[in-house]
Amino acid sequence: MSSDSRFVPLVLKTDTEPHMNKNFISSACKFFSLVFVFAFINFTSSAQEISTEPAAIKAGESLFNANCKACHAVKRKLVGPALGGVQDRAPSIQWIKDFVHNSSAVIKSGDEYAVKLYNEYNKTQMTSFTSLKDEDIMNILAYVKAENEKVEEVAAAPTGGQQQATQDTGLSGKYLNIVLIGLVIILLLLLIILGLIVSALKRFLDQKELSEEDREVVHSPISVGSITRSSGFIFIVVFLVAALGFKAVINSLFSIGVQQGYAPKQPIAFSHKIHAGQYEIDCKYCHVGATKGKNATIPSVNICMNCHNQIKQGSLTGEGEISKIVAAYENNRPIEWVRIHNLPDLAYFNHAQHVNVGNVECQTCHGPIETMDVVRQHSLLTMGWCIDCHRKTDVNTRGNAYYDNLVEIHNKTGKAPMKVEEIGGLECSKCHY
Amino acid sequence: MMRFATTIFTAISAAVILAGCGASGDNQGTEYAPNMYHSVAYEPYTQIVDKEAGSWLTSIEYPDEHAEFFNTNQFNPNHMNMRLPAPNTVSRNKNGWLPYRLGKDSLAYAARTLKNPLDSTAAMIASGKLLYDMYCDHCHGAKGTGDGKVASGVTIEDPEKGKIEKGAYNGVANLTGDALKNISEGHIFHVITHGKGLMWPHGSQISVEDRWKISMYVKTLQK
Repeated sequence: MSSDSRFVPLVLKTDTEPHMNKNFISSACKFFSLVFVFAFINFTSSAQEISTEPAAIKAGESLFNANCKACHAVKRKLVGPALGGVQDRAPSIQWIKDFVHNSSAVIKSGDEYAVKLYNEYNKTQMTSFTSLKDEDIMNILAYVKAENEKVEEVAAAPTGGQQQATQDTGLSGKYLNIVLIGLVIILLLLLIILGLIVSALKRFLDQKELSEEDREVVHSPISVGSITRSSGFIFIVVFLVAALGFKAVINSLFSIGVQQGYAPKQPIAFSHKIHAGQYEIDCKYCHVGATKGKNATIPSVNICMNCHNQIKQGSLTGEGEISKIVAAYENNRPIEWVRIHNLPDLAYFNHAQHVNVGNVECQTCHGPIETMDVVRQHSLLTMGWCIDCHRKTDVNTRGNAYYDNLVEIHNKTGKAPMKVEEIGGLECSKCHY
Repeated sequence: MMRFATTIFTAISAAVILAGCGASGDNQGTEYAPNMYHSVAYEPYTQIVDKEAGSWLTSIEYPDEHAEFFNTNQFNPNHMNMRLPAPNTVSRNKNGWLPYRLGKDSLAYAARTLKNPLDSTAAMIASGKLLYDMYCDHCHGAKGTGDGKVASGVTIEDPEKGKIEKGAYNGVANLTGDALKNISEGHIFHVITHGKGLMWPHGSQISVEDRWKISMYVKTLQK
């Protein structure tokens, strides 16, 4: 067995350097040499050599993702060991195959390396993959080897894309500036042209014989003072200012008791944009109560930890914010989030009713939450806002036997679809009791 | 003229003062009738921890030494109004579901003995799919191949920083792979409840009934 492992690196070298057949070209017959090379390659692959063929790596990648990824990574220790370099570490390639096919048998046989691994990984037994053929395992090894060697290139790639992108945005900004400058120039030209037309007209009128009155009109002195003192001007200014002021007063009076736009700082800078927007995690994965009860519920720390037991580095804030979750989890302390949507105690609202039966999307009331880094109250949450929706929204009656009789009665009165209003959505005591 | 000026001045200053009533950022805005807004009874998510809150409209001496709006249960730790259920009690519902009691280490036993109590109907599988999309999709992928966005990581086009590669959660199982293809529904149920390998327990989020529905749907993905 150990002779195998020593044999592997040697063969690898021949395969990565196809020019090796130079040796054979020197022989008289090219054809024979080629045949020999093929025979050689075939022989070596059966003698457990890891391919570097792109086809093998590709096949290995899909096999790896389908079977191994749950417990193994190439460069990191997960449930099982990192697989990078396994071909050099394990006693032999045959050993790897045996272990993949039936790990418990290898461990039971008392194999020293297998027992050591078993103990090192808390006696977790690897699933037996009897369905993987020998060549499948070789392909997986080919993928692992290729993956293990390539990392440096991957790290270098994104910076290139970054420069490209910044250049792109710079270009579009430049275009905008050029357009704006062009517009300003055109407007200035227009002003000059108008001025020229006025003076030309004046000169033309001067040449004509005009009455004294007309002459006065043509040559009347225009001054800023005369305009501002005119009663028409004062009226317009006073009217505009008073109207705007009145509007502002009314608007701000209406904002009393309405918390639209409230976006408090939270104890942890949690971003819905990252979680719900970029990773597309369903709202209800964390807000589990939305389909079950009155409150949509704020996730408890263990739900955060479902992912953040592993993901410890945030893309915007580094470790700072995520470490607060871990600290809360370890110290068994709740995170005191600041409540944003404060429906007054005098009104009753139930999430489950709206989400389950009404099929109302979260965004209908909470706005584009998946784009918000800091959550802001999007809707008014006033009674008028509730009522407005109840008047406009059709009841989702399809496939819900509860509504059958109601729909039948409703359809006798007209053809318009049944609105929430018509099943008691405007009754005072539905929300106030 | 003078009268106009005063009118304008009053209007503008009123607008400026009232503009402070609206909410924005950390400012919650002015409340119209605060004593009708705040619950006197303990509410799970609206505890007010400031004992002086609402003292300006508290006209009588409070026996409990706090003002009108304070509504935090002082006997619970960490300002919590909610409490854990009393020990050795179980919640009951109309379908008679009881909590799942096998421990994390009894996976093999659970996989062998547990039977899905729900009938396998199209409606049941459809609601299983809904739940799967809610709780599992972002890691295990829509088809169960372990390629959800959280599992594979995402690349974001940022207008300022260009392409940003975002990290992934390692070790998400491919549910359709050979290793897991033949597992029983009891196995799936147990793993959702207690977690396995790098997956953490989801029993606190998903009810027993919903876990069985998801198990049923996962079996259809594995066919």
